[in-house]
Amino acid sequence: MDIKIPFNEELRPDTGLYNAKLGVWLFLASEVMLFGALFSAYVLLRVAAPIWDNSILNIPMATINTVVLITSSVTMIMSWVSLKMKNLEKYKLYMGLTILCSVVFLIIKYFEYSSKFEHGYYPSTNTFLAIYFTMTGLHMLHVLGGIVVNFYLWIPGVKMWETEPERFTNRIEIAGLYWHFVDLVWIFLFPALYLL
Amino acid sequence: MSDSDHDIKKHISVYRNVFLALLFFTVLTVLVSYVEFDATERYIAGAVFIGLIIASAKGYLVAAHFMHLNNEKPMINWSLILTVIFFIVLLFMPLLWDMNNMGKDVDYWGGEDQKLEIYHDVN
Repeated sequence: MDIKIPFNEELRPDTGLYNAKLGVWLFLASEVMLFGALFSAYVLLRVAAPIWDNSILNIPMATINTVVLITSSVTMIMSWVSLKMKNLEKYKLYMGLTILCSVVFLIIKYFEYSSKFEHGYYPSTNTFLAIYFTMTGLHMLHVLGGIVVNFYLWIPGVKMWETEPERFTNRIEIAGLYWHFVDLVWIFLFPALYLL
Repeated sequence: MSDSDHDIKKHISVYRNVFLALLFFTVLTVLVSYVEFDATERYIAGAVFIGLIIASAKGYLVAAHFMHLNNEKPMINWSLILTVIFFIVLLFMPLLWDMNNMGKDVDYWGGEDQKLEIYHDVN
């Protein structure tokens, strides 16, 4: 007998949502608290520190990274829109571009980190670098996680489109929610660490 | 063209406009960071304020349009309102830690006598 998991596609009457969407939103709520704790620590350290030397950070590189991440958010949502329009080829194109942007983000971050290490700047150097590496490092792990999920949905996971197109479209929507959250965190990290 | 096709086309133009607005705000954030709002050494407060306003505007655009929160079910909105309340508590927790001494004209690190007094109060 073929047992189907309920509310994968159809909406639950009490929540008005399919289950995975509610699940991802609750996960994102917990992520807000995770990054919230670090932002709270940042504020405390920032106002208490006698010296806060963020002039060693590379603002042009971080600005490019911001643009890259915003672009990836747009391509991510366009991949979902393409599936809504039943256009699998366009979906593959936009999802590929999203992954490309994520990889470019990581490459730029790699150059940023290596230049710090080359100059002898480590998390242990001072309070600013400690919170800088902690927050950007955690964010980078989230980007890495997003790449893994998006890559799965781009190549191996795409076969679900043949059998359950609506469920697959929902998967892209919730992967998109996570990806936009990663973008959202960077939108606050960028001015907080690089500019203020 | 069906209604849903029309809706999707409308959504695409919204996404394009949001993208352009986000790029504009990114450039603005960088430009504003070079402005010194005040000649005093406390100019950082103005910079933080403006920086956070712009970041919040960008955050709103992403959350409202890309994450569809402007048209989401009450269940999610209520969960997020609860999250925001807890987030604010979390953000102000370090302040609560320091609250006992707010408004008091205490020089923590002024002299040995003061330090001793605080030490005795704590223990």
